[in-house]
Amino acid sequence: MLMKKNRIWMAWLLILPVLVIRGFTTVYPVFQTIRNSFYDIKLLRGINEFAGLTNYIEVFQDGKVKTSIEFTLIFVVVSMFFHIVLGIVLALILNMKFKGKRYLRTIILIPWAMPTVVIGMAAKWAFNNDYGLINDFVRWFVPSFQMNWLIHTNTARLSVIAMDLWKDLPFFAILILSGLQFISNDIYEAASVDGANKVKAFFYITLPMIMRNVLTISIPFTMWRLVMFDLVYAMTSGGPGEDTALIAYRITTETFTNLNIGYGSALAVMLFGVMVIISWINLKLVRKLAY
Amino acid sequence: MIKKQRVINRVVQWIITGVVSFFILFPLFWIFISSITPAGELFNTPIDYIPNHPTLDSYTFLIQNVGLIEKVMSTIVIVGITIVLSTIICIMAAYAFSRFNSKALTIAFVFILLSMLIPDVVTARPLYEFMKNTGLYDTYTGLIILYISAVIPFTVIILRGFVGEIPYSLEEAAAIDGATFIQTLFWITMPLLKPAIATVAIINFVTCLNNFFTPLFFSNNIQVLSTAITQLPLRDNMYAVPWDLVSAMGWIIILPIILFVAIFEKQIMDGIMAGGVKA
Repeated sequence: MLMKKNRIWMAWLLILPVLVIRGFTTVYPVFQTIRNSFYDIKLLRGINEFAGLTNYIEVFQDGKVKTSIEFTLIFVVVSMFFHIVLGIVLALILNMKFKGKRYLRTIILIPWAMPTVVIGMAAKWAFNNDYGLINDFVRWFVPSFQMNWLIHTNTARLSVIAMDLWKDLPFFAILILSGLQFISNDIYEAASVDGANKVKAFFYITLPMIMRNVLTISIPFTMWRLVMFDLVYAMTSGGPGEDTALIAYRITTETFTNLNIGYGSALAVMLFGVMVIISWINLKLVRKLAY
Repeated sequence: MIKKQRVINRVVQWIITGVVSFFILFPLFWIFISSITPAGELFNTPIDYIPNHPTLDSYTFLIQNVGLIEKVMSTIVIVGITIVLSTIICIMAAYAFSRFNSKALTIAFVFILLSMLIPDVVTARPLYEFMKNTGLYDTYTGLIILYISAVIPFTVIILRGFVGEIPYSLEEAAAIDGATFIQTLFWITMPLLKPAIATVAIINFVTCLNNFFTPLFFSNNIQVLSTAITQLPLRDNMYAVPWDLVSAMGWIIILPIILFVAIFEKQIMDGIMAGGVKA
């Protein structure tokens, strides 16, 4: 558009390093994984032979995978629900005009900047029945409280979701805030002249105006949750049993621990397929909302 | 009446601020307190929020027996080189994507965008084998390449937006005055991009520090802080989690982060929001 056509080689030279690194770390491995998914590769037993769709069929008969998918779905849906509801609340708080604004924004960035594994390791101890922070806190109010959070399926799952929210909710709220700041004050003034109270103003002005933004940022957050790995690695190691083994954790267990590479690859390909479908829906949705 | 309303507003605002701070800061305070409590006293219930016998024992143990200094150094080397190199190559790419136009270039840009969709777990195993075969596994070079790869899409997209905002007439003027293409890029465009580069570098610093997947699967002897904290030894009287050491190492990671966030609050906010608007 701007530069002369004959200097386009210069452009290619400039993007070459980025393209080579990105291509080498994504394109080739993806094709290799797709290929592997049709093979029966069990390094521990020295097996490496073509297996057709066997791996894919096996997925549907595997109880562990069923548990993983079940928890991944619960994790994504519950976590995203609270991200959206609490995220909007937190964004409204961050948007308040008062002296502590900068302080509050700084505080809120700390969980975002902390490595997830650090949070996971700390959570492992924090949810301990006897010595953990959580129960100690609860015992300020209910002195005889006993609960071994990470040992029971439901409470372990709840704990993982809670820690995920602690870490990422502030980040989500900041992104909502970026949309909030575009709403001009005039609209609220006009509404209040017309007799709308704050609650009405929120539901009829704020919410409709940020909803598109909220939906748009929910897509990457949903995808990050689908491939979440470090939190459960550090916090529960997938336990109790396999009950908090998110699908990404399950895949790395197959490919790196059990060395059942063909099967793990089939799972990975299916996860990738789900990601592609979601982003395709996202594209359609955003286009529709744009009108 | 209006004055009273304002006072109530202010009180509510500070109560909310207090509650939010409590939820975020109290766990961090607890980690700090645990790190200076003698290992044995970590089993006291209720928790002593003011330790009776504060000690730096866990920190000395980390330095003397776990090689903390070495791990801090390898983290700094990997993250530092990644930030410098990724920023340079991403500025080049962002410039090209913004200033040149052809169908093939658009496809290349869309490829970089779409490659964000590919989960790490899909590429991990083949990459692992590739790294082993080429001798890049467990080397600084190998790790840095993967770290750079991880930050490329975000960096290119954000910087491309910023380059687009710089008027092209400046570069034309420089060209008329006889500046070469490279001179223009380095002396005209780069200085104008400084704030954007700072923002992107700050956010990438956090991303790299948080990167756990890459060092976990692609290195063994080289340990960065995020992997090291999961592999601390259990000392004699602890069970399940070496909480004495985990809390100390946790705090070593958390303290710089708190300072960092406090100093760069504005740039980080701008960076995240730029990403949000462009997303």
